[in-house]
Amino acid sequence: MLEIKDLHKRFGDTVALDGVSLTAAPGEVVGFVGANGAGKTTTMRIAMGVLAADSGQIVYDGTPLDVETRRRFGYMPSERGLYPKMKTAEQIAYFGELHGMSRAEAKRAAAALLEQLNLADRAGDFVQDLSLGNQQRVQLAVSLVHDPEALILDEPFSGLDPIAVDVMGTALKDRAANGAPVIFSSHQLDLIERLCDSVVIIGSGRIIAAGSVEALKAKEVKQLRVSVQTPEDLTDALPGTVTRDGDDYLVEDADDQEVLRVAVAAGRVTHFAYDQPTIAEIFREAVTR
Amino acid sequence: MSAQTPQASRMRGLLLVAGREIRVRGLSKANLISLIVTVVIVGVLAALPSLIGGDDSDEKIGLAGSTAPAMQAQLDAMGGFDITIYDSAAEAEQAVEDETVEAAVTDGALYSLDGVANEVETKIDAAWQAASVQTNLAAAGLSDQEITGALTVQPLEFVTLESASGVTGPLDYFTGLIISIIMFMMLMTPVQYIAMGVVEEKSSRIVEILLTSLKPWQLLGGKVIGLGVISLVNLVAMIAVGLGVSAATGMLADLPPGTSSAAVSTIGWWLLAFALFGTLAGGVGSLVSRQEESGSVLTPLIMSLTLSYLGAIFLLNAPTSTFAEVLSIVPPFSGIAMPTRMAIAEVPAWQIVLSGVLLALAAGGALALGSQLYKRSVLYTGSRMKLSEALRRAA
Repeated sequence: MLEIKDLHKRFGDTVALDGVSLTAAPGEVVGFVGANGAGKTTTMRIAMGVLAADSGQIVYDGTPLDVETRRRFGYMPSERGLYPKMKTAEQIAYFGELHGMSRAEAKRAAAALLEQLNLADRAGDFVQDLSLGNQQRVQLAVSLVHDPEALILDEPFSGLDPIAVDVMGTALKDRAANGAPVIFSSHQLDLIERLCDSVVIIGSGRIIAAGSVEALKAKEVKQLRVSVQTPEDLTDALPGTVTRDGDDYLVEDADDQEVLRVAVAAGRVTHFAYDQPTIAEIFREAVTR
Repeated sequence: MSAQTPQASRMRGLLLVAGREIRVRGLSKANLISLIVTVVIVGVLAALPSLIGGDDSDEKIGLAGSTAPAMQAQLDAMGGFDITIYDSAAEAEQAVEDETVEAAVTDGALYSLDGVANEVETKIDAAWQAASVQTNLAAAGLSDQEITGALTVQPLEFVTLESASGVTGPLDYFTGLIISIIMFMMLMTPVQYIAMGVVEEKSSRIVEILLTSLKPWQLLGGKVIGLGVISLVNLVAMIAVGLGVSAATGMLADLPPGTSSAAVSTIGWWLLAFALFGTLAGGVGSLVSRQEESGSVLTPLIMSLTLSYLGAIFLLNAPTSTFAEVLSIVPPFSGIAMPTRMAIAEVPAWQIVLSGVLLALAAGGALALGSQLYKRSVLYTGSRMKLSEALRRAA
């Protein structure tokens, strides 16, 4: 269990974090969403010990996170960085060693990851000679080489091609399936929706919404959408406040069973369900609230 | 993944960083080529004196006339002559014209085509005088024994005194010059590489990943150690080749007695000076985020290195002046000035110790300052961070 507890951070007069808390249970994939400058990167940097918080703490499995434990985490910063004049495989293995692997283990892991990322033939090339997309893959390999027991990834999908997105997504799911807590931020909300068990929305240094994807969607439930095959206009016949959306009726403030009865009486009901908001809609809703 | 004690893993982190520097920079083609070129140059320079003076083929001299046997005895005793005896002066003269001999000495005349070298002329002249004296003495009726007794002269013993300035000789000047140049080069290059490496990590943002598994001091320390090892290998290679070639060509014996020890102690001075300049370079390098800006923050370091070097050159001409004493004791100048001064003049032991202690203290201070600067500013990106701001910032 990775717990980020009540982080506060100021940069000069700017309050970057104002009591940010979030948790990731073992095996849970947490999506961290927020507008630019909301505090995602600052939160993740503090969690990885790259930045010191003014107050608050990071707790892992019940004890404050120390350097030794943190070395077993995988981290991808928002600002990507690799040694341009170092060979690809050598570089990945170097990071493996920094994370505590033996040289042989690190070399093996690097070779395996390069194979997985379709980069095996570039193992001996300097990183600066790779295309940007391939450099991103190397960056991914660097964060995964030591088989991390927890993942904190800042915008891991930005700049990835669809294949790399799949590899990354699979990697996240795999780690989570092995019991690792995973926290990642992204602006690609469809990915968050697809990959995450829960979502945390941050705005201006504060958590403004958090919970499992289902719970968030349920909380933000919108109108009842009804589609009936009938020549008649049911706007007035249906109970509650009714609006048209194309051929569909959107019903609010009414007993759904009553609505169904009226609809069935009018004709063949082809659709009858509450509209589920997308994460994108929940996000927009949350940040503008 | 192996479980390690915190100490072991701290050391491991440091060594991993150092190892990477050595692999990536030390084993780079550019460094290997420059090392080979430098070593070859040093080797050639060291061999040069014996190559130039190595023309020891014997001088071909023809002799004729009644003085020929006496002359031959004298010239043989001197050595360096290939002597041919001719029956007559005319034959000897002919031999000179045919260039079978360089010169010919008959009774009272020296034949040559266009004169002979001064050195050779002096020897022949001395031989001629000695031979003449011997002939005259024999003519005066002295026995061979008496002649030998009269002619036996105890050769002059040459005693070289130190002048009042304490300068021991031109070869020491040369050694001092070489030491100051090598020290300057061996400090300047790694210092710039350290700063460049720090800026590279900062500008490529890789430092953020590194700092999740390394402490700032490991990252800076490893870099300084790594580049230090590369430079040390270069320095030792140069000194070893220089001394080795000198020993092989027999020049080592001709060098002033302190040369080898001065060359070796130079390594010690270099270590201290490098610790000082290297850690400071890392510290100031972390103040900037872009390679273009590294020049401006490095300027004070480069300036003091250059001043140290120029001071050492100046010191060579006045090794016993107060200026020389002060310069070789006050850090950071003492790093280059002291080994240079030690090569050219007798330095009191207390001054060497004082200088070493001060330099070590300064290096320790630089280590603390450099790593603080580094720790506080390495993650700060954007415009150049002011030194005062870096010092004020909480780490």
